[in-house]
Amino acid sequence: MEKIYIICVEDQREVLNTIATQLSSLDQYVIIEECESAPEAEELIEEIDTKGDFIAVVVSDHVMPGKTGVELLTTLHNDQRFSDTKKILLTGQATHMDTIQAINMAGIDYYLEKPWQADDLLHKIKILLTSYIIQKGLNYKLFLEVLDQETLFGLLKQTP
Amino acid sequence: MTSQAKNFILSLVVAIAIVLIPSQYFPLAQLSVIEQRVMALFVFAAMLWVLEPIPIYATSILIIVLELLTISTSGINVLIDNQGDHFGELIAYKDIMGTFASPIILLFLGGFFLAMASTKYRLDQGLAKVLLKPFGTRPKMIMLGLMIITAVFSMFMSNTATTAMMLAILAPVLTCFDEKDPGRIAFALSIPFAANIGGIGTPIGTPPNALALKYLTGENNIGFGEWMAFGVPFVIVLLAVAWFLLLKFFPPKAEHLALEIKGKFMTSRKAIIVYVTFGLTILLWLFDFVHGMNSYTVAMIPVAVFLAFGIITKEDLKKMSWDVLWLVSGGIALGLGLEKSGLAAHLVNSIPFDQYAPVLIVAMAAILATIMANFMSNTATANLLLPIITAVGVSVMSLEALGGAKMLILATTLAASLGMSLPISTPPNALAHATGMIESRHMSKVGVTLAIVGLVLIGILMYVLNKVNFL
Repeated sequence: MEKIYIICVEDQREVLNTIATQLSSLDQYVIIEECESAPEAEELIEEIDTKGDFIAVVVSDHVMPGKTGVELLTTLHNDQRFSDTKKILLTGQATHMDTIQAINMAGIDYYLEKPWQADDLLHKIKILLTSYIIQKGLNYKLFLEVLDQETLFGLLKQTP
Repeated sequence: MTSQAKNFILSLVVAIAIVLIPSQYFPLAQLSVIEQRVMALFVFAAMLWVLEPIPIYATSILIIVLELLTISTSGINVLIDNQGDHFGELIAYKDIMGTFASPIILLFLGGFFLAMASTKYRLDQGLAKVLLKPFGTRPKMIMLGLMIITAVFSMFMSNTATTAMMLAILAPVLTCFDEKDPGRIAFALSIPFAANIGGIGTPIGTPPNALALKYLTGENNIGFGEWMAFGVPFVIVLLAVAWFLLLKFFPPKAEHLALEIKGKFMTSRKAIIVYVTFGLTILLWLFDFVHGMNSYTVAMIPVAVFLAFGIITKEDLKKMSWDVLWLVSGGIALGLGLEKSGLAAHLVNSIPFDQYAPVLIVAMAAILATIMANFMSNTATANLLLPIITAVGVSVMSLEALGGAKMLILATTLAASLGMSLPISTPPNALAHATGMIESRHMSKVGVTLAIVGLVLIGILMYVLNKVNFL
């Protein structure tokens, strides 16, 4: 059975821990991975893809040493293999230009500004996870507990 | 090893054991090799559908492929050559493959086209809005309205899609309810129950009904309109019972409820074509005695119209629920194997059904169907039971007085739609349970009561149908 991953990228350890804790209610159903830099995330993504598992959501900080979050998400966006993978940019220091780039070049699905509400992040991730699972044709019945109902009902009613 | 792999291997081992046991150990005289293989296949399919180590539609395809390999005229040579005594008749491979394009499948495909086009052109939302208006703002009445709309829609759309649509409408309202108001539970339960019950109303309402048509051949044949003539009254009564039960068990405390349905009827040319075609198809289904086309032929008309006008596009075509169609194909193929090999008749003849009171046989069949359907897919239940039940109906003479095979098939089919007491019983139940508004025990409380009432109603319905010489 293939596994579903949610990847969190953030260079500050404490913040990364916070994100992971806020998502911990999902970890019975999906695997939450923590990465401290973009290259580390890319390596992990390759590894997961080779195993044939699924990367549903990538949550990334923007300002990180080396490769920035927007750059990471842009690379991901341009990779056919991850065309369905959902992208969240979680940042407090993005400039106007960064933001434009995030939308136009990285095709992000959601922009969350720091500081953020735990509920907000969790809710958004559930929505994105739901559409990912339906898009990929995975068995949604196994994930009902962690899916966003509104999104699920909306998508399901379109299939006769 | 995962539990899924274990369950698959267990099923496979049991199936192989059945093939390998020497035939004289079976309590069936003169069991042919082919019959023995079909028996193994039947048990294999039953175990896979119950334990679900692989998706239920995959089991169906597995049945078809295994039949082709082991009992068809185009099977593996070492398995089908050197026929000794008691080998039995091979089944034509074209007949097995033909199950993919059985008229039943095409009838369902027609239903899918209607459902998809009506969702795409907002016929469903528009209708829901118009139909709900007269029910006012009192929660009890709104619930009745929602249940009627859900039931009517699920007669033509899949029960799952209908439930998803109605829950999407209902969900924002439910969150406004006071947390302690039992009405929340009543509302959340009303949708899946209404969807499951509504499916009984037409031959395309739910796959078991279409499958029943497969077995209702010759003089037992039933038209679309004939089915609705008894199906719809049955739905109305059971729906009323469900409404009453929900209000009794979980009376809503709120005084007012405002339900907002977004979306209006569309007015584009394509939308008009959809609305007209939808109405016309249903009229053609109902008035088959006027024009002579059977329901299968009629079902192809919307398919052609919607494709020709670009209402259903190539992308939409890919989104059709082929899994449901193939699930049914596998059931038809299993039935074909059981019938053509002679195993169904053989099995039934070896059990002295004539010694039992005919009423008892019907009751047992219906109760068995309901119990099975609670724990596995309703369609899989029908896939497994209907071939055997048909053989019973045809061979047990004492059933004639009650309506014969036709009555037994109908009773079993309707009973297969009554399995709705657990979240796993049907997809609508699972979706409603996922709202978090209801606990399993709430669902069971109403579901079990409804099943018992439903079974009694089936008894009454069959009695009446027999009295009016329909059976």
